[in-house]
Amino acid sequence: MLFILILLISLIAQFFLPWWVIAPIAFILAAWMGNKPSKSFGNGFSAIFILWACMALLHTLPNENLLANRVGQVLTSSEKGMPWLLLVLLTATLGGLVAGVSALAGAYFKEAFGKRRR
Amino acid sequence: MKMLKFLFTAVLALALTWGLNQKWGSAPPMGKFLDPFQGFWKNAESKNTATENTLSLDGLNNGVSVQFDDQRIPHIFAENNHDLYFTQGYLTAKDRLWQMDFQTRFASGRLAEVIGPKAIEIDRFQRRMGMGFGAENMVKTMMKDPEVAELMNAYAEGVNAYIHSLKPGDYPIEFKLLDYAPEEWTPINSAYLLKLMSATLASSSNEFYMTNILKKYGPDVVKDLFPDYPYREDPIIPSGTAWNFKKVPVPSATTTTEPTATTGIKTKEKDEVIGSNNWAVSGSKTSTGLPMLENDPHLDLTLPSIWYQVQLVTKDMNVYGVSIPGAPGVIIGFNSKVAWGVTNVGSDVLDWYKISFKDQSHKEYLYNNQWKAVKPRIETIKVRGDETISDTVFYTHHGPVVYLENQKPKNFSKADNIPAGYALRWIAHDGSNDVKAFYMLNKASNYADYRKALTYYTAPAQNFIFASMDNDIAITPNGYFPLKWKGQGKFLLDGNNPNDEWHGRIPADQNPTVKNPPRGFVSSANQFSTDPSYPYYLHWEFAGYERAHRINKRLAVMTKATADSLRNLQNDNYSVFAENVLANLNASVNTQKLNAAEKKAFEVVIKWNKFYNATEMGASIFEIWQKQLNKEIWADEFGDQQNLMRYPSRDRTVELLLNEPNSKWFDKVNTPQKESKNDVVTAAFKFAVDSLTRAYGPQNDQWQWGMVKHTHVPHLAKIAGFGSKTLFNGGSKTSVNATSESNGPSWRMIVALGKDLKAYGVYPGGESGNPGSFYYDDMVNTWSEGKLNELVYLRNTKQASDRIIATWKFTKK
Repeated sequence: MLFILILLISLIAQFFLPWWVIAPIAFILAAWMGNKPSKSFGNGFSAIFILWACMALLHTLPNENLLANRVGQVLTSSEKGMPWLLLVLLTATLGGLVAGVSALAGAYFKEAFGKRRR
Repeated sequence: MKMLKFLFTAVLALALTWGLNQKWGSAPPMGKFLDPFQGFWKNAESKNTATENTLSLDGLNNGVSVQFDDQRIPHIFAENNHDLYFTQGYLTAKDRLWQMDFQTRFASGRLAEVIGPKAIEIDRFQRRMGMGFGAENMVKTMMKDPEVAELMNAYAEGVNAYIHSLKPGDYPIEFKLLDYAPEEWTPINSAYLLKLMSATLASSSNEFYMTNILKKYGPDVVKDLFPDYPYREDPIIPSGTAWNFKKVPVPSATTTTEPTATTGIKTKEKDEVIGSNNWAVSGSKTSTGLPMLENDPHLDLTLPSIWYQVQLVTKDMNVYGVSIPGAPGVIIGFNSKVAWGVTNVGSDVLDWYKISFKDQSHKEYLYNNQWKAVKPRIETIKVRGDETISDTVFYTHHGPVVYLENQKPKNFSKADNIPAGYALRWIAHDGSNDVKAFYMLNKASNYADYRKALTYYTAPAQNFIFASMDNDIAITPNGYFPLKWKGQGKFLLDGNNPNDEWHGRIPADQNPTVKNPPRGFVSSANQFSTDPSYPYYLHWEFAGYERAHRINKRLAVMTKATADSLRNLQNDNYSVFAENVLANLNASVNTQKLNAAEKKAFEVVIKWNKFYNATEMGASIFEIWQKQLNKEIWADEFGDQQNLMRYPSRDRTVELLLNEPNSKWFDKVNTPQKESKNDVVTAAFKFAVDSLTRAYGPQNDQWQWGMVKHTHVPHLAKIAGFGSKTLFNGGSKTSVNATSESNGPSWRMIVALGKDLKAYGVYPGGESGNPGSFYYDDMVNTWSEGKLNELVYLRNTKQASDRIIATWKFTKK
């Protein structure tokens, strides 16, 4: 459930809001409905990993990876560059990490404050 | 414990998010940049683009229809001028917004605002050269002309309509990489881009070096090695053309001054960067019986393409050609009745005046032996991530004192040829209405219209070539040419002496021109405008005659010319320079001093056909050989690092090699023994073989000229990955096809006038400025192979063409 919600809400929010909105989304949702911290991290990471990978693929495949290959050269400052799929994975991992760590913080927040309130 | 875990992970999450939203050094903010919703992925364009689209825009008066051809070139049909230039602005911005922004920032000295402290010196330089002063004057002049003001404003409105439609995710990729946002466009930005053309084409200056040479070697050596007319020439206006005007009096020369130049700055020999050609052939020599016109302006090549192709149509105009991204109208092109093109005129429109300030406050300076007030201009340079800099520039009536004594930056090559303590008089500072000249050419229908249009043009001076359906051909080296005494500005001038100032201008209708010469063609390749019979002084030195000579020789024998025979000449790699010296150099090589590898290379160069074709090894050897020989001959006398000088011209060197084998200049003054011509020619040859061997191994296919030259088109901001790949092609600075490493034909065009007009063109890039578009560099290979695309010239909206792939409607909101 946490996984689905992070993915869906981020998908909608990202059309209007800057990229970092994934951090508060993951945090709040995990703080609200997260369970084990490690599982929350996994849910946050995989939700954004999958979302960002799919979005990147949606842009790059019709482009025949033309731009991804060029940006690979820019980021490595070398003519060899990097395989475009690696850039997709890098993108997805980076987004996943931000969401995962935020979800983790959310889960710990719940552990630290949640029970006391109950 | 749970609290600690929370705090730790919360800080980690915040730090990660914040860190990925920050720019680190020159790296972009990675989270923002890689975000597939609004980051760079969004700039990846699909191969399949919309074939139909309707846009409703504020600011249009009526509807506009735009057809895109298979290279995404827009053909704009509007009902009035306002809507036409509005749409040109909109579409140009859509394809080239970042390029327009960056070039304007570069021209106006506002780069540091977005790329930080490393751009401060270049910003300071542009401002101190008076780019802002010039652009402001230009806008004032243009806005006084209602017709031009309408054009400029409509174009700016169109650009802004596009900018306002953007969300951050829509910004061109370079904005995302450099992490900044586009800003509102104003007409002065267009003025900056036009002034940038003057900075590129009409800002060379040798007087600082020449003055040092005069001081060291005296007038006799200057006269001998730096003559006022070359040994070999083939001027633009054919010799024998009559000057049908009454000459205005030319002032007499100042004889007494010998200003002192400053010392202590390093310089380097600047590579020849020009190489533009144009020609028009009369109907008597073509297969169609009507004129054909060619133009290939050469510049330092960059991606996105320097030019932007467009067709502009209203009820009373239908023009096709290339525009400057950021300025309205077409610069080089054709309509159904005429075609025109330009190459640069190397006339002297930039001079330096020694200024004597009264005191260190720089409030007054001496002019005509009286104190005159200085106007300070304060330049404010904003710096990203650092404090704003305030820089005061002192303006005299001549112009700005670019650098005061001790103000000149070290290790900044752009400032090398600038004498400290001198004021700059430069045509680019003057108000001008050059846009009007192009606007009138866009609408021209005959020779009279062409002549009238040219009177509005100031700078950078161009060889305007022309052909019309009336079977007229013409060429006019045109612009504001200051009226000077002979040799005025060859050396530094005295800011106190009124006789050293420009004495007004050569009357515009007395600029050199020729119409329908008996030889049946007109042409130019940056060489001398006229032979010495022209009664006015334009400059003492122009580009070498070699390209022009080759063009004229081939055009002279051409009959029944087709567009393809002109294309063939465009790609001519033959070097007249090699023709002039190769046999002489070969005979001067002391073969006994050559080792086996050098002998093998010598065999190649002896058999070389003098064509700089991509596969020729002889071209590679000869090119390095002659460059080194030039150094061997002149570096010892003219390479002084204290008193900066320059070398004599290629033309003078050729004369020396052919006619003065025993000249003292061959001897190297810094060695005890006496070197002969054969010694230095042989040494330079050995050097050439040695350097090729070091770089590419013993003689092999890697020595082919195309490999050695490695032509490529870099990105405008030198972003690796956004440039072209390395291309394999021919050409040299002394061939008609003057393509070098990254300088070459920025646009190639051939127009065959006629009822069934045919036009061809290509530039080394594409219509789109987006590296993520299939139209970013789709013309590069065609260009590199020396081929052209047939241009789609639509007579009206209803004309069907199978090359139109999309139609957009723009409607009034």
